[in-house]
Amino acid sequence: MDASNPKIELGPRAVCQRCVLPESKPDIWLDGAGICNICRDFDKQNNGHEQVKFLESDFIKILNQNKSKGKYDCLIMCSGGKDSTAALYYMKKRYKLNPLAFTFDHGFETEDALENIRNAVDILGVDFILFKSDFMKEMFAQIVRTGSKAVLCHPCSIWYMGVTFDMAARFDIPMIVAGWTKGQATHQPLMSRCGCNAHQAEFVSMSKATQAFLDQYTQENPKYKDFPRSMEEVLTLAKKRHKAMVVSPHWFLPMDAGVYVEILKKELKWKFPRLSYPGLSTNCYLNFISVHNSMKHFGYTHYHVEMSKMVRASLLSRQEALKLLEINFDHGVLQHVMQKFDSVKGLK
Amino acid sequence: MNILGISCHYHDAAACLYKDGVPVVAVQEERCTRRKNTSAFPIQAINDCVQYGGITFADIDRVSFYEKPFLKFSRVILDHVKAWPLSLPGFLTTMPHWLEDRLILPLTLEKEIGFKGDVSFVKHHLSHAASSFLVSPFDEAAILTGDAVGEYATMTYGCGQGSDIKILREIQYPHSLGLVYTAVTTYLGFAAHEGEGTTMALASCGKPRYLDKFREMIKVKSDGSYVIDQRFFGFNKGDRMYTPRFLKAFGRARKPGTTIEERHCDIAASLQKVTEETLLTVVRHVHAETGLDRLCLGGGLFLNCVANSKILEQGPFKEIFIQPAAGDSGGALGAAAYVHHCVLKNPRTYVMRDAYLGTSYPDARIRNILLNHNMVFKEYDAEALSKFVAQKISESKIIGWFQGRMEFGPRALGNRSILGNPCNPHMKELLNDKVKHREPFRPYAPVVLEERAGEFFELSGTSPFMLLAPKVRKDKKAVIPGVVHVDGTARVQTVSRETNQKLWQLIKDFEGITGVPVIINTSFNLRGEPVVCTPEDAIACFKKSGMDYLVLGNFILNKVENFRP
Repeated sequence: MDASNPKIELGPRAVCQRCVLPESKPDIWLDGAGICNICRDFDKQNNGHEQVKFLESDFIKILNQNKSKGKYDCLIMCSGGKDSTAALYYMKKRYKLNPLAFTFDHGFETEDALENIRNAVDILGVDFILFKSDFMKEMFAQIVRTGSKAVLCHPCSIWYMGVTFDMAARFDIPMIVAGWTKGQATHQPLMSRCGCNAHQAEFVSMSKATQAFLDQYTQENPKYKDFPRSMEEVLTLAKKRHKAMVVSPHWFLPMDAGVYVEILKKELKWKFPRLSYPGLSTNCYLNFISVHNSMKHFGYTHYHVEMSKMVRASLLSRQEALKLLEINFDHGVLQHVMQKFDSVKGLK
Repeated sequence: MNILGISCHYHDAAACLYKDGVPVVAVQEERCTRRKNTSAFPIQAINDCVQYGGITFADIDRVSFYEKPFLKFSRVILDHVKAWPLSLPGFLTTMPHWLEDRLILPLTLEKEIGFKGDVSFVKHHLSHAASSFLVSPFDEAAILTGDAVGEYATMTYGCGQGSDIKILREIQYPHSLGLVYTAVTTYLGFAAHEGEGTTMALASCGKPRYLDKFREMIKVKSDGSYVIDQRFFGFNKGDRMYTPRFLKAFGRARKPGTTIEERHCDIAASLQKVTEETLLTVVRHVHAETGLDRLCLGGGLFLNCVANSKILEQGPFKEIFIQPAAGDSGGALGAAAYVHHCVLKNPRTYVMRDAYLGTSYPDARIRNILLNHNMVFKEYDAEALSKFVAQKISESKIIGWFQGRMEFGPRALGNRSILGNPCNPHMKELLNDKVKHREPFRPYAPVVLEERAGEFFELSGTSPFMLLAPKVRKDKKAVIPGVVHVDGTARVQTVSRETNQKLWQLIKDFEGITGVPVIINTSFNLRGEPVVCTPEDAIACFKKSGMDYLVLGNFILNKVENFRP
């Protein structure tokens, strides 16, 4: 970070003493013991820490039940991050499948991430498609320009899941593999909502804001008139065209990220990016703005939700999660990203 | 070569990964599912084997099952026909299991783990024989197996040499010493496949007044075989394993939970005595037939540590080896070992010196779990931890001790154990009141430094798997009253620095305080539950019981700080 750029200051909030969610009424509130309602609900639902079993054999069953009749066994969504690169590695090396790697670049991908992907597909000898488009740029710009509470990552994920389902249909691939962690998963054996459940208390306000934005913006802009308003809509449309299961090996494998990061570094020349949020992640440039806005509007991000789930499952300590979630970028980074919007009409 | 050994469908389901001649992982399914003695296909244990064994499911070269299902099925059908129509209820209950699970293992393997390779089926008693001899320290030995029933065999003997096993003779169903023991166990009001140890403990409280009656029922022949008088037993004729004739001879059966009378103790004592007599006769015959000086024992019958000691003390063999998972769970290990060595002709390189073949949890993961459970805990270095725990044991505090890899087999051998002070004469009552809630006549077992075992027990060798019950030396009975059974024996475990450094050091530190190199070691579970597997299980057990401290890796939790009354 450049010392001349002011640090990002976000007002202090009381944080749950068990997970890492801050109080954010009306969705998240802390009780007298400083524990949030999400953790209390988790305890009730899980009968006081009943352990969730993650069995690799369940994943094997899914793989066997969804065998491809075509050239590729699965389509892997590769962001260049550790989790999706590990998913690619596992599908190729551990399960001996023939995957098609697929990356989408909305114009904000980092060179570090793209280099990780190139190295991985080259070393593993996997066919690879890079889909680059600035289709979403105006929508992103509108969210930033208007100060909307819509979470940038939400329309982005709606878009990329739609594109991914299209790609699976085009190559007649029965299985889409993502690098989602146990913190992003909700239910086994597959997660129907592709990453997060918009109806979870932690996401209600964020989802409402994104929904409101999409409802209005897509009506007003002919370019986006067919843009799905929600992930459910994406899934409904996808089912009509081509049935593909979405699954992540990380839901079933017991290895923690530390284990596979070492393998990726050694075997696939994989590197952590110079700067990314949260710590030890590989996310796009736009993510910095998304995080900043989420923190400003809601006091937390979807990463806080993910890591809280991992803390509740004892896969991560609260201290580790808090450390990873510390804001590690400044206004200089945000300005740098904003410059990428310069060419977009109407953005100031 | 990765061979996955599996035992399941009856009780004590387990899986074992035998990797290049070494059992690298072995896990009982009950530990994962928390259902004691589960018979279910051991899918969770298999997952543990693959993941802890550092392989993938695709790397499994071969699966080996611990018995021959079709052979067993033929015996079951014949048995039902013979006992018809009394066997009808049993027939209706068991047939769906046979058709849906037991006869279709290759299909189950393909469905559950995607395995389509070779599946070997090893005879039940051959699996027991292999589970003992092939991991024993002996190049050549006689082998004796005994349990309830396999396919047809209930007891076999033979010999092993190098990587070969030869079964010389077998005794067949319904003549089963194991089934008689289980039948009488149920008559005494204890659960089948679980209460046999209780019957064994009860035996010490009685006199063998019914020995003649038992001798009438179990007739030992001059060739070392025996015949069970079937008029007293009905192993497949309804919901009881004994007949009205048995009840006429011994009186009304005890209902579970009711008072234990002197008569019950005497019946247990007589059963134990006749079992020992019969086994000694068989063992002497095996010795004469094979001419060998070393003996390997396998099968659930040889979880009877009192009989094992008699075989060692009064039998003709110089040395005996009993594998810690002598029951059906060990069949998973035996089946895999048999295929690797006896079928594929690979030489033996491994000797089983400890039973720590299960899963483990690094301290970083334990810390996360403790934090997630809002536990108050302190982290110690190994030396300070050992000294602290030794001090607390000397103060007669009850310690939950969770370290390293879980044991394979029914005994907790110092990694999933509850520890106590053997010097306190009231320790048994304390453990019973606060944690285990066992029958008062059941003793607690000692673990002793291997190099000091001879000073305290009439034991010439070692007993690393707690499968021997030697006499406590007269001058030591008053020193360790907490572990001396009513008959003056103790089910002892010896521990060496090489096999369990942490436990060895703890006992050493306890000795530094008390002068006694012995502590109480009982399994880390509550009555009716399987031994704990994960740190979460340990915390739950700690919470529900009256243990004073829980030691998880290098972390110590105090009961008062965490669960105030």
